Amino acid sequence: MFVNLFQDPVNAAQGVAESVPQNPHAPAQTIDAWGQLPKLASTFGDVDGLFYFTYAVCIFFFVLIFAALLYSVIKWHRKTYDQPAASNVTHNTPLEVVWTVIPLIIVMVMFAWGFKGSLDMTNVPHGARQYKATAKQWNWTFSYPNDPVQSYGELWLEVGKPASFLLESTDVLHAFYMPSMRVKRDVVPGRYQKVWFQPIEKGEYHLFCAEYCGDDHSKMYAKVHVVDAVEYAKRPWDQWDDNNPAKGGESRYKALCSSCHSLDGTPLTGPSWKGLFVKDASGAIVGGQRDVFVGGVKETITVDDAYIIESIKNPEAKKAAGHEKNAMTAFPNLPDREIHGIIEFMKTLAGK
Amino acid sequence: MTTNVPAVDTHVAEPTSGRKNFLNCSSGFMSWAGTLDHKRIGLMYLVGVSIAFLCGGLFALLVRLHLWSPEGALFANADYNQIFTLHGAFMVFLFVIPAIPGSLGNMVLPLMLGAKDVALPRLNLLSFYLWCSGAVMATLAIILGGFDTGWTFYAPYSIYTDKAVVSIGLGIFLLGFSSIFTGLNFIVTVHKLRAPGLTWFRMPLFVWALYATSILQVLATPVLGITVLLVAFERLYNIGIFDPRLGGDPVLFEHFFWFYSHPAVYIMVLPAFGIVSELVSVHSRKPLFGYKLIAFSSLAIAIISFLVWGHHMFTSGQSTYAMFAFSFLTFFVAIPTAIKEFSWVATIWKGSIALNSPMLYTLAFLIIFAIGGLTGVILGALNVDIHLHDTYFVVAHFHYVMMGSIALAFFAGLHHWWPKMFGVMYNETLAKIACGIIFIGFNTTFLPQFIMGSRGMPRRYATYVPEYAPYHHASTIGAVILGLGIALMVYYLVASLFSGKRAMQNQWGGVTLDWHTPTPPPLENFDHSPSVTTEVYDYSVLDLETTRTPAS
Ligand code: HEC
Ligand code: HEM
Ligand SMILES: [Cu+2]
Ligand SMILES: [Cu+2]
Repeated sequence: MFVNLFQDPVNAAQGVAESVPQNPHAPAQTIDAWGQLPKLASTFGDVDGLFYFTYAVCIFFFVLIFAALLYSVIKWHRKTYDQPAASNVTHNTPLEVVWTVIPLIIVMVMFAWGFKGSLDMTNVPHGARQYKATAKQWNWTFSYPNDPVQSYGELWLEVGKPASFLLESTDVLHAFYMPSMRVKRDVVPGRYQKVWFQPIEKGEYHLFCAEYCGDDHSKMYAKVHVVDAVEYAKRPWDQWDDNNPAKGGESRYKALCSSCHSLDGTPLTGPSWKGLFVKDASGAIVGGQRDVFVGGVKETITVDDAYIIESIKNPEAKKAAGHEKNAMTAFPNLPDREIHGIIEFMKTLAGK
Repeated sequence: MTTNVPAVDTHVAEPTSGRKNFLNCSSGFMSWAGTLDHKRIGLMYLVGVSIAFLCGGLFALLVRLHLWSPEGALFANADYNQIFTLHGAFMVFLFVIPAIPGSLGNMVLPLMLGAKDVALPRLNLLSFYLWCSGAVMATLAIILGGFDTGWTFYAPYSIYTDKAVVSIGLGIFLLGFSSIFTGLNFIVTVHKLRAPGLTWFRMPLFVWALYATSILQVLATPVLGITVLLVAFERLYNIGIFDPRLGGDPVLFEHFFWFYSHPAVYIMVLPAFGIVSELVSVHSRKPLFGYKLIAFSSLAIAIISFLVWGHHMFTSGQSTYAMFAFSFLTFFVAIPTAIKEFSWVATIWKGSIALNSPMLYTLAFLIIFAIGGLTGVILGALNVDIHLHDTYFVVAHFHYVMMGSIALAFFAGLHHWWPKMFGVMYNETLAKIACGIIFIGFNTTFLPQFIMGSRGMPRRYATYVPEYAPYHHASTIGAVILGLGIALMVYYLVASLFSGKRAMQNQWGGVTLDWHTPTPPPLENFDHSPSVTTEVYDYSVLDLETTRTPAS
């Protein structure tokens, strides 16, 4: 259903990187000393300050209310059916003024503090590195400044360097959320959004999709590595190995295709890749047989590279039987060497 | 004053004098289905919203059980998404919004005003049937393939998904009209049918609250109706208003949606405030502290709540000015809300506090609502909300207000007016136990959600990273406890209808007009046309004997 109508010029590249499955076996976050927030890894410490301030104010008022109720109930609960109230006071103007004005002052402090903090979040500093994050159901693609190689489901940043992201969605709403960095921004189709932060701690962090976007919303995950300058200079996102394309293909599969295609025969949104390629009697790898609908007419074809490439670039041309009602996201811009890698990976499945 | 008169043994209370009341004055299917009596309509609402609540609760249990394991214990992701959507939609549209005005409001408002019925009884019945047809459409949508957009129907997902969005949208449209008509009816009733001597500032606060709610219902709900219609048109005819592929703007949908849905949270909560105001006074036998301030704060909330919808969209890329205004005004709503909470506590202070089940539910409300309201203030802070938005922190916040406060206030009101409605009392011991179980279960379910939310657990996740598992476990255990508590409550309430003790004429010692009619009330509410000569909540006029005289 989500035909890719938002083709993106920048995406029309290029290279590739090794990446990690979207299904997170991510390292657990470290929690800060107060036990409530993930340990801060960006410069947006105002969030923490204000959070704990409001938290303390809340606890104060809660304890006040709770204590007053408890005390009243113990002291003045009705012991005889005709016990009258101990007092019939209905007003106390000074008291009412106090409990209006004091909360008013407190919330105005919170407002000003919060507003100032949010201004810091909107003002991107000069010289911030320009990244791009593209969200589509249900994965993230990252582009690096002046670098043709993109990474999928995994992102590398340099510690201490402000990073600014152009956010773009090719289908529905998503949200770019990194708890440790205290940033969140909706990714809105048809608009460019921006978010920036400055990572100050090396480590591995979660990037979640925080806006509900359909079936695999919860799997729309990326692992973010914040590394030092030396490590970053090695361009760790560019890990394609031309001598082992199947390995790169597998990582593409995990990042882009595994939400809809299984390897073990289980039908998901799309058909399993089991049986696309098979081994013949001599053990050679050959294309399997597939029933497909071409313009509504069913025919049986033998799988070959051309069929796979067509299925990736223009999935509507031949619809796999049993899944003809479902739509596949097209990947018209997937670079040839990656498609080749995926096909090599598919071939490794033959006979399994 | 302190003489301890032994309580009347209610078991020996003799059966009725044969007096006809609204329950037994006529019988047969049509005498209910075609009734124009506000009390019967209220009872039918009560049955309806209770069924919706139990369905919604069942979905909630499924959600919680599924989240027992990080990979999801029960369903495929797509099915989980349908279940949490059904849970939210049933609870919000079929239960929380109509529950209190439809059932208790209908039942009690005319009694409190000293009126024979609401001003427009036929419209009242129509509201009920609109509610029913909305419920039918929602159920139909499940059969037609379900829906998986979340209760918020955010575009463009709601435009693209292949589920039954149009059907449910139509259902919501009908429910919206049900809500609008109830609001209109109550406004007219309050203006026109107050008993002689019942001036505006002698009205019980439940009436004030329903009045403020009604204004919101009439003004805000049409926007929801238009919004769901636009979504339906977009799906059917591709008009290009929300779909970015056709040049539409998904953020516009969010504006429309929250323009209704923020006021809607006050449509839900103001009646609960009304019940609590009523109950703290009666069960502390003390005039409400700051009556006028509470009445005005209801109106203040009603007005300001139209201006804060943007606080649901702080991460959507609003302009700095919009953020400024919405955050500022959001903090402003907190003030009248705080005033109410303080006034209730001050009412209880030095009262004559009866620790019966309606009061226990009310105390539970006061504690839980304190947390719910205070965490709302945390969310109002701009940069903090950017971190907390769309996490379990928000989920916990609105469950503290919607489940923990509104549903508990509804239960409190139900226990309070149950003897009035049916002339029987439920088993008080069981009621107190159930209240305790519900309180514990509720907090076990939702307190951990604050923690995992502030640690970054996003909402609407069918699966999650394993580090959040301990909180999900606690939450699931809490939900099971909560479910047991509610099951117990349903049990003893229903059982009381068959084997309950006879209630007292004025079970709790209330002094508003609803306690001046016979119990249960006759068809047209009052045997004699009532008039009001004293200030509201003046317990010096309470005739204590009526609290010990069995209902006739
Ligand atoms: C949104 C879910 C989805 C994603 C993501 C997806 N596919 Fe598909 N795929 C489908 C569906 C549905 C079909 C069957 C309908 C059709 O043929 O268009 C399909 C069919 C195919 C076929 C034909 C298979 C056959 O058995 O005949 C191939 C090859 C394919 N996809 C490759 C890919 C590759 C490579 C990727 C990742 C780059 C990918 N798909 C990602 C849903 C998806
Ligand atoms: C003191 C008063 C309150 C304040 C300041 C407040 C503030 C907020 C804020 C800022 C949000 C947005 C959070 C986010 O999505 O990031 C929110 C969400 C919400 N609040 Fe409140 N709130 C208050 C009371 C209430 C009450 C009384 C109710 C209900 C009856 C309520 C119901 C909700 C709901 C339903 C949501 C979330 C809706 C959703 O996203 O699905 N709130 N609140
Ligand atoms: Cu998502
Ligand atoms: Cu709101």
